[in-house]
Order: sequence, then structure tokens, then C-alpha cells
Amino acid sequence: MSELLSALAGWGVNIAIAITALRTNLLRSILTTLGVMIGVFSVILAVAVGNGAQVSVTQQIATLGSNMAIVVPEPERANGPPRPGDRGRLTERDGDAIARQVPGVNAVAPQIRTSVQMVTGGRSASTQAIGSTEDYASISNLATEDGRFLTKSDVGAATRVVVIGQTVADKLFVDINPIGETVRINRVPFTVIGLLESKGSNLGTDNDDQIIMPISTLRQRLSTGPAQGPDDVTLLFVGFEDEEALVAGDREIKSLLRARYRVSKGKITPFTVRTTKEIAETSGQVTQIFQAVLVAIASISLLVGGIGIMNIMLVSVTERTREIGLRMALGAKRRDIRNQFLVEAAVLCIIGGAIGLMLAMLAAAIFQQVADFPAPIGWDTALMAIAFSAVIGLAFGGYPAIRASRLSPIEALRSE
Amino acid sequence: MTAPLLETHDLVKDYVIGGELVHAVNRVSLRIQRGEFVAIMGTSGSGKSTFMNMIGCLDVPTSGTLLLDGIDTKTLDSDALADIRNRKIGFVFQQFNLLARTSALDNVAVPLIYAGVRAAERRERAQAKLEAMGLANRMQNTPAKLSGGQQQRVAIARALVTDPLILLADEPTGALDSQTSLDIMGIFQKLNDEGITLVIVTHEPDIAEYAERRIVFRDGQVIEDAPVTSRRRATAA
Ligand SMILES: Nc1ncnc2c1ncn2[C@@H]1O[C@H](COP(=O)(O)OP(=O)(O)OP(=O)(O)O)[C@@H](O)[C@H]1O
Ligand SMILES: [Mg+2]
Repeated sequence: MSELLSALAGWGVNIAIAITALRTNLLRSILTTLGVMIGVFSVILAVAVGNGAQVSVTQQIATLGSNMAIVVPEPERANGPPRPGDRGRLTERDGDAIARQVPGVNAVAPQIRTSVQMVTGGRSASTQAIGSTEDYASISNLATEDGRFLTKSDVGAATRVVVIGQTVADKLFVDINPIGETVRINRVPFTVIGLLESKGSNLGTDNDDQIIMPISTLRQRLSTGPAQGPDDVTLLFVGFEDEEALVAGDREIKSLLRARYRVSKGKITPFTVRTTKEIAETSGQVTQIFQAVLVAIASISLLVGGIGIMNIMLVSVTERTREIGLRMALGAKRRDIRNQFLVEAAVLCIIGGAIGLMLAMLAAAIFQQVADFPAPIGWDTALMAIAFSAVIGLAFGGYPAIRASRLSPIEALRSE
Repeated sequence: MTAPLLETHDLVKDYVIGGELVHAVNRVSLRIQRGEFVAIMGTSGSGKSTFMNMIGCLDVPTSGTLLLDGIDTKTLDSDALADIRNRKIGFVFQQFNLLARTSALDNVAVPLIYAGVRAAERRERAQAKLEAMGLANRMQNTPAKLSGGQQQRVAIARALVTDPLILLADEPTGALDSQTSLDIMGIFQKLNDEGITLVIVTHEPDIAEYAERRIVFRDGQVIEDAPVTSRRRATAA
């Protein structure tokens, strides 16, 4: 206990000596600290931006819906770039078959899309129209804030009803409740039956700039470009009961579709099944690599800062050789001298690191405000920054400190 | 009979200068008893400082033996030597060697840091030594705000703060005027009367007369070693 106390007191003395020495050469100390400050600033900001990307991707995936798979009628990218002939077909009947035959499927929602022009009361907006069914809301985590979503009878009867996103509502309706209003979509009159809850935007994509109508209505009333058959769809959303069913469902869907389209053995499957789980995993990997690259680049400036520390500590040792000799004559052991210079380097680095951290927090906050992109700096990141700068101090201050401690007392004392 | 405080046998320190071997100290054997006051004299380059540095454990002999308080210093590692310098030896230098921008009090306390003494006690002990040197009202002054004589007294207080057995002073009056030099010699005599062993190097014969034994070096060897016949006493300051 008393040994621990005296060890701590010893460090306290070293810190006092270090602060005196650093104050003596204040400008030089500040300039040296600047290097570490900039290094820590860029590393922390890189970590924060990386974290932000991760958060943003997680949010985006959450907006897709959970335990969901998307079936697209084209072969997987891994098989090389898609050629026109590889493209398969996908129909609403395929969706029905999946709903009936693949175990663990809750619901299937087909989707077709087209861009449309909307007009009402002298205002207009262009947006994406999604044609789907009543199950689309539950599968892709959509909810209405006002009014209602599509029903089975809307889809069956191909009624001219539409559910609109927040952005569309803001563009078309000012000071009036859009529910029950009539809008012309590509000149066809529709009744607004629901307003979607906002899903925000992810990395520049506005999730609220869309409208949803029955797939049957979209097909009949709005041109959808070339299609091979009357019930062709762009893609199918498949909702599963749980993650287990989702994982198994991937292969089940593929083999079902291969059978339905009589794809012979050995030929590639002209369908891609992307599950939310896969998307989350690949996106997670991508953002991790993104973060690693950012941090690696930022680390270079930290390295430069560290070299600056080493340079200044070497100068400091040379300048104070006589003082080192004197301290040795008065009884300083090698480790006392070593610790004195280590503490000096660590103090420089920790001060630089702390200021760098504060600047990074400030920059992250500004970034968050201006770019609407999360850049969180947690306690773990902050602690890591401080610990990291201390380590830089010890690593780059280590060599000069050891060099100082190895001096011969008499040679040090005699130096000019 | 107790062992001598300091004993050397054939102590040698060689330097190679420009490819030529120089015996800076050449087979010196002598004893210094507890309580002695020794003055070392000799022409410039005769090896006085080299000898002092070796007996102060600042420098390592090329060959020969040095026994300090009965301990053969050859057997000690750098930490143990640092400990001996800290606890048994006090150094006084010609150029004072005080830490700049550091108060007299903090300067005097430095050896106690390395002795592992707590801050409060360091302060107390440093204060006591400064008071004994007549510097009670200069404790917070930095060296730049002290005269040469005052600085040397701070340095003596620092040398004494760990209550060492022996004080080694290489030309302690070399940077001082003659009156201040006499003051410093008075302090040394007083300390010697109180029982501390002193070895000083000096160029001035009259300064040497304050000691009780005179050793003369030439070309690295002792050529004369005798008691001071007409010893001077400093008038009590
Ligand atoms: N570090 C060194 N490297 C090489 N030669 C040295 C070194 N230190 C001392 N010498 C040589 O050793 C010899 C003795 O030097 P020393 O400093 O002991 O003399 P000194 O008696 O103290 O002289 P002074 O009265 O001028 O201080 C001299 O010839 C000197 O050149
Ligand atoms: Mg000399």
C-alpha cells in the first residue's frame, strides 16, 4: 500500500517536472502537441464517420423490414455481368406459388414500379409509383399515419386509390388534409386514402418520396413499359415468420422457381434471392472496410504526429543532457530519468489527444447538423483516443527516454 | 578500528586522446578517514577532477579498487551506484549546477525525490538545510535571483539534504570572489567540525590551508600527501 503510494507520488513528481519543462518551451510544446492533436482528431473523426455509416446502414436495413427476402428475375452477380438473355421472368402466380409451397412464408407482395406525374389544385409533383398488394405494408414495415393502407378488395377491384408518402403530401397539399382528396396521376383521377408514416432518408435517398397503389390499378391505368406477360412483376417481397425460415427460404424459393420455369440442371438460376440478413451482413462488411480504410488514412497523420514527438523529445534530451547528469549525480536511477522523459512525452500526447478529441466531437456535431449524417463519438471512442495518445507518447517518447537514461553520469554532467 | 570511509588501491583511469593513451589517474592508492577535511591540489590536467569523479561514483575506474564505506564499488550496478550517490555522497560543483527556473527550496529537495521521501517531508528537510545555510528568506528565489555565493550555499544545502557521509567539492570557490570564497570555506569548516568528511579540489594555496590535509597530484599521481601545518580558521560568519 505504502509502496503503491510512493510509486504514485513518484509519478506525481515526474508530472510536475514534465509540466515545468514543457512550460519552459511553451511554443515548442504547443507546436509538438499540434501534430498529435491533428492525428487524434482525424482518427477519431474517421471512427465517428465509420460508426455513422454503420448506424445509417442498420437504419436503412430496418426500413426494409425484418425477415424479408426480395426475389429479382436476374441471375446473381457472382456469375459475371448479366447478359440480356439471362433475365428471367417473375409473375404474380410465382408469388402465389411461393406463398403456398415455401415453408414459413407469411405473405408475398409483388411489386411493379413506374415514375408518375401527380397534379392537384394547381400543384404538381413527380414521384415513383409502386404497385403492390395489401400485404406490402406488413412485409416492408410500412404504416399509415393517417387514413388506411390498401385492402384486398382495392387490389381485387383495381380501384383508383393511392397511399402517399410524406414528401409527396408536402409537395401537393398545403394546409389541407390529403385524405379523401382527388389527385390526377398521369391524368387519371385517384383518391388519396392514406398517408404513410415517415421513414426518413438514408444516404441521400428519400424514403418518403413514393406513392403506393393496387398493382392491378397500376397495370390497368398507368403504362408500365414493356412486359412479357399480363401478370409480370419487377420483384417479389417475401415475408417470413422468423430468421430460421428466412435462411432456409432462400434455397427453397430458388428450387421452386427453377422447377416452375423448367431450368435444366447445370444452367444458372435466372433469379436472385436477397434476404435482409444477407443485406445486413454484406452492408456491415462494406461499412467496416470503409471505416478501416478511413482510420488507416487518418492514422498516417497520427504517425506523423508521433514522429514529431520523438523528434522534440530527442532535442529535449540533448538540450538537457547536463540536467540529466546532475540528476544522476544527485541519485536519480536510470528508470527515474527514463520515466521523467516518458511522462513528458505522454503529457504532451495526452494534452494533444484531449484537444484533438474535443475538436473531433465539435466537428462531428457540426457534420451531423449540416450533412444530416450521424457521426457518434461514444465514451469508448473517447477513452480509446486518450489511451491511444498516451500509447503514442510512450512508443515515440520511449526511444529518447531510454537514450537519456543510458547516459553516463559524468559524460552527461560534463556536456555543455 | 573502523574501516576508512574511502580507500583506493592502484586506482587508474585511462583516456585515449588522438590515438594516444593518457593515464589521467595513474595507480593512486590512498585512504580518507571519517571526519577528515582534505584539499586536493595540482596543476591543470593533473587528474584531480578525474579522481574526484571516480570516488564520487560518477565515473568508473579503468582498473584498481575503490572501497566506499567498506563496499567495493566494482560489485555495484548502476542503480546501486545511484543509491550511493544519493545517500552517502554530496556534490558541490564549481558552476553550482542548480536547476534554472526552479526555486531554491525545490532545488534542495531534488535528492530527496530520488530517495523516495514524501513531499511534505522533502519540504521540511530542504527548509531546515536552507535555514542552516542562512537562506531562510531566499527559499522561493530562483537561481537567477541569487548571488554566486548564495547559489553555492543553496548547492551546499542540496548536497547535505540527504545527510551524506562525505561532501565532494570540485573547485567550489572557483567561480566566487575572495571574500565569498572565505565564507564558503567557513561553512565547510563548520560542517567538518560537526563531523562530516570533506574533500575539496582547489587551485588556490590559501584556500587549501583551511583543510587539515593536503594531497598534491601531478600527471595522475599523488606526489605529496601531508597535514596542513599552518591551518587557517575562518572567522565565524
Ligand atoms: N573525458 C575525457 N576524455 C579524454 N580525456 C580526458 C577526459 N577527461 C579528462 N581527460 C584528460 O585527463 C587528464 C586529467 O584531467 P582532469 O580533468 O582530471 O584534470 P584536472 O586536474 O581536474 O585539471 P583542472 O585543474 O584543469 O580542472 C587531462 O589530460 C585531460 O585532458
Ligand atoms: Mg578539474
